[in-house]
Amino acid sequence: MTAFDTAERRRATDARPVITELIDEATIQSIAEQAWISLVGEEEVLVPLPAELPADVLSSWVDVVGPWTGSVVLTTGRRTAEELSRALLRDSAPPVLDEEDVVDAFGEIANVVGGSIKATLPGHSALSLPSVGASPEVRNASDVCRIDLLWRGEPVAISVQGALPALPSSPDPHHPADPDRSTYENEVPL
Amino acid sequence: MRALVIDDSRAMRRIVSSILTGFGYEVRDAGHGGEALEVLNEGWVPDLATIDWNMPVMDGLQFVSAVRANPAWRSMTMMMVTSESEHTQIVRALAAGAHEYVIKPFTADAIRDKLALLGLLPQEVVL
Repeated sequence: MTAFDTAERRRATDARPVITELIDEATIQSIAEQAWISLVGEEEVLVPLPAELPADVLSSWVDVVGPWTGSVVLTTGRRTAEELSRALLRDSAPPVLDEEDVVDAFGEIANVVGGSIKATLPGHSALSLPSVGASPEVRNASDVCRIDLLWRGEPVAISVQGALPALPSSPDPHHPADPDRSTYENEVPL
Repeated sequence: MRALVIDDSRAMRRIVSSILTGFGYEVRDAGHGGEALEVLNEGWVPDLATIDWNMPVMDGLQFVSAVRANPAWRSMTMMMVTSESEHTQIVRALAAGAHEYVIKPFTADAIRDKLALLGLLPQEVVL
């Protein structure tokens, strides 16, 4: 007996959660506050207020690979990233921070926040080493959970964003999305 | 007492080293498990090693396994200090031979409490 690959079966296999089904803004903010208290300082406060990021921004992020796959991205102004790094290093901060210091410290904040976010997600996931630079692109606008905060009056954004493109909307054989396409039998999975 | 702080982040090494120095430890550090093994092979065997999990070259779990494979380093207490907080990962680390597990973010008090449990807090800090 031959087993046929049906579109219905593929749709069930391809189903994957988006981040808004797994975590909410309040949880991300709580995680960020804990990380700030531990890493940046006990007196440091994050205020949940949106503000426009400056033109010169820097992002740090870690990738999460598992039942949900994406990145946890911190973005702030470059000068704020330097201030964060200085706060994290406290007394051991050199008089002049070099690029390597900022990459290391700002990346470690993403690592700690990302690790805590990973822990709230279902199933086993792997966490990458942190990266610092230009933020990874948003692949699926519906697979993003973002909070905007102020630290010492400067904007900091934390975005938990999926790395995979959106799945095609479920085709209804009675009302195909594409009128020229009445069958999905030969559809290639992503 | 001596401590070896193993973490690929210089910032985190500085933070952990600062906490341990405050508790009276003589501290050295390493950027990954391979570097830490070099320190041990020099003959500088600490009472305590704090170990990050995710590191390049040699990760924390590989380091723990390497230490456990060498009877000469059996006296060393190994404490994972990591953002890896899944229960299965904690069990893996303890099964490999780690003695304690601290999840980032942590406070100095959390480190102090774990050291007290392990009997690795100098008496003057306990009092």
